[in-house]
Amino acid sequence: MGILQNVKNAVRQRSIHVAYVDVGSCNGCDIEILACLAPRYDIEQYGIYVHNNPREADILLVIGAYTPGWADRLLPLWEKIPDPKVAIAIGNCPISGCLFARPGTLIHPPVAAHIPISAEVPGCPPRPTEILQAVLALAPEVFRDYEVRVL
Amino acid sequence: MMASSFLWYLVEFIRPSWVRKFFTVRTAPLLTPPYFRGFPEPTGKACTRALRCMMVCPAPGAIDVVKEADGWHPRIHRGHCIRCGLCVEACPNGVLSSGRVLESVTASGTALTLTFRIDVDTVSCMGCGNCAVACPVNRGLDPQMAYGGRASRDDLLLCVVEGKCKVVREDRCNGCKTCEDHCPNGAIRVDRVLQAVQAVSL
Repeated sequence: MGILQNVKNAVRQRSIHVAYVDVGSCNGCDIEILACLAPRYDIEQYGIYVHNNPREADILLVIGAYTPGWADRLLPLWEKIPDPKVAIAIGNCPISGCLFARPGTLIHPPVAAHIPISAEVPGCPPRPTEILQAVLALAPEVFRDYEVRVL
Repeated sequence: MMASSFLWYLVEFIRPSWVRKFFTVRTAPLLTPPYFRGFPEPTGKACTRALRCMMVCPAPGAIDVVKEADGWHPRIHRGHCIRCGLCVEACPNGVLSSGRVLESVTASGTALTLTFRIDVDTVSCMGCGNCAVACPVNRGLDPQMAYGGRASRDDLLLCVVEGKCKVVREDRCNGCKTCEDHCPNGAIRVDRVLQAVQAVSL
């Protein structure tokens, strides 16, 4: 059973499904993530698929500075993702609020205060290569020893 | 004859280099070009704590100048810094570098200069002298200055003349805004004027 699970994990970590959610960004980081899908960066060659469906996602990319409208939406979305799962904060906004972190703005960064964040990619926006690096570095960790020790 | 030509046709298609490429194809490693602005890195030159970097920085909390055992050092905070390169451009000593900002600034002879203008609202100023006493430039010139802001010399930055604050030597101002923080009426304002200038090359 342990060997079978190991094989399953080894295969699954080469086929990562990604969903992204924009919790109030300026669209700069969204465009950099879209650039990852384009032929120049082409994340599918690394076995990363963007379906944007939390039910089949392994990695959630969070973009944006967490506006009040997401208060009752982001956590349910995070809970819909089946285990094992990780979230990556893309850009400055989910880390610190970036330029919007000023008095009187309706944002509540960091996103790590609302859902567990495993990795942060700083930058305004981060480069597609940096986003790719973060996803690729985290992909083997998602399924490492998943359900192996329990059995 | 027919069969051998068909065989050669197949062999052409299973050429080892093509087969290998089919299974292992990857985009060439994408390198960050040298002209991309990264997070500012120290060049090793000494920081004189002019704080121009903190004054021009558009991102809240992205840069601090902190004191360490060997002097002042700018600290870039990732997660706040937007890599605009303005701190690199505004620094009078070239303490930071990022991409080719320093090279292009030197090549084009451009600079970001900060000047300071002090406006005193003479209606709400009550001449308490808090601004003149709190001002760190004044303290360096006239450490004896105390309550009331009466000056012992006439080349101070701020002093109180006839019950009103008076700006004497505006050129001495370093834009720290300490006077603003100490004014009980909000009567004094320091404007930081950022100008991009280019030296006329002959």
